[in-house]
Amino acid sequence: MAATNALEPIEGTEGTRRPIVAHHFNNLLQQQASVRFGMWLFLATELLFFGGVICAYTVYRIWFPKDFEAASTALNPLIAGINSFLLLTSSFTCTLAIRAAYEGKQGMLKTWLAATILLGVTFLGFKAFEYYTDYKEGLIPSNKLVYNDPRSHNSQSTTVHQTGNTTEFAHNLEHVLKDKEYYKDGKNLGEVNLDRCRLFFVFYYAMTGLHVLHMVIGIGLFTWQYILASLGFFVPQERYVYVEVLALYWHFVELVWIFLLPLLYMAGHHNFANLGF
Amino acid sequence: MHAEQKPIVFEHAHPPPNSVATSGLVYIVMLGLTLMALVIGFANLGPLKIYANLSVAIAQAMVLAFFSMELKNADKLTWLTAAAGVFWTFLLFLFTLTDYLTRGMTAQSAY
Repeated sequence: MAATNALEPIEGTEGTRRPIVAHHFNNLLQQQASVRFGMWLFLATELLFFGGVICAYTVYRIWFPKDFEAASTALNPLIAGINSFLLLTSSFTCTLAIRAAYEGKQGMLKTWLAATILLGVTFLGFKAFEYYTDYKEGLIPSNKLVYNDPRSHNSQSTTVHQTGNTTEFAHNLEHVLKDKEYYKDGKNLGEVNLDRCRLFFVFYYAMTGLHVLHMVIGIGLFTWQYILASLGFFVPQERYVYVEVLALYWHFVELVWIFLLPLLYMAGHHNFANLGF
Repeated sequence: MHAEQKPIVFEHAHPPPNSVATSGLVYIVMLGLTLMALVIGFANLGPLKIYANLSVAIAQAMVLAFFSMELKNADKLTWLTAAAGVFWTFLLFLFTLTDYLTRGMTAQSAY
């Protein structure tokens, strides 16, 4: 179990360059409390960071509910669901890594850190695939217009711009929503301003992009901790606190995803018949 | 070489990390809540959908914060930091929404 007296030499750490308690701390408990406080303080700033984007999203969703609902329908809830389970499981594996570090089980620590990294990378893989399918479906918001497209003269078209100058995005979104049978169950594509749906997609790419950035940073840090574990850095069990604070960061990343899922993906109308990649 | 250890003023021994059983239980609860969120997402609840979704999200956030992030066993300073983050985020939402959502309103149109 972890020793509480940092003045006694820890067996197996003779000759290590770094003492367990740094010189500017009075004792081990103060150091550990400072480490945790530092991470919680950073997470408070991260809460404000994501809170700002979510607040802006909230304003526009209150102003344009039908457009946001329609745009959300174009997203893929299957990939979102898979990613939710991957992230949840990675949170579980990182808490197991904390326990392993606390108990001094170096092998299990490396195993759970590796599992967390693997699950995170898999999440990013699915996310990349999702972005690719969004690109293939033409759901990239832009001002590019479609000229003289015969499909825009189709009597079944319900875009706001009836003929001639339709934005490519609105054109593509209309096709995606028709494929997903958005017009069923009383929904009317005519009530939706497909051009304004670009606003939803700007938020979608911004919010998920920022989340992906945080995941990349987290995976990088877990990789660094795996290397440190391989070098025996966590042999002194007091150092479990560093695994704990990285897990705090990772749990926060999951917390953000917990709110992104209902706001971005579950705002629309999905049905099981249209589930797929 | 080592400085004389100063007396411990306010730090208390931190409880040990969650056991494997506790972590497993939290994982199962979170799995259940995530499934619930997905079911709500596929349901046709009309205007209630967003409230149901956010309620489940808040429940997930609380389970995550109190158990996975060990806020339940944390010291007062950690509680204060977490509460400060939530409070300032609340102010962010409050002032931004009261600004944007009341634009266009006049004293006459409010009645």
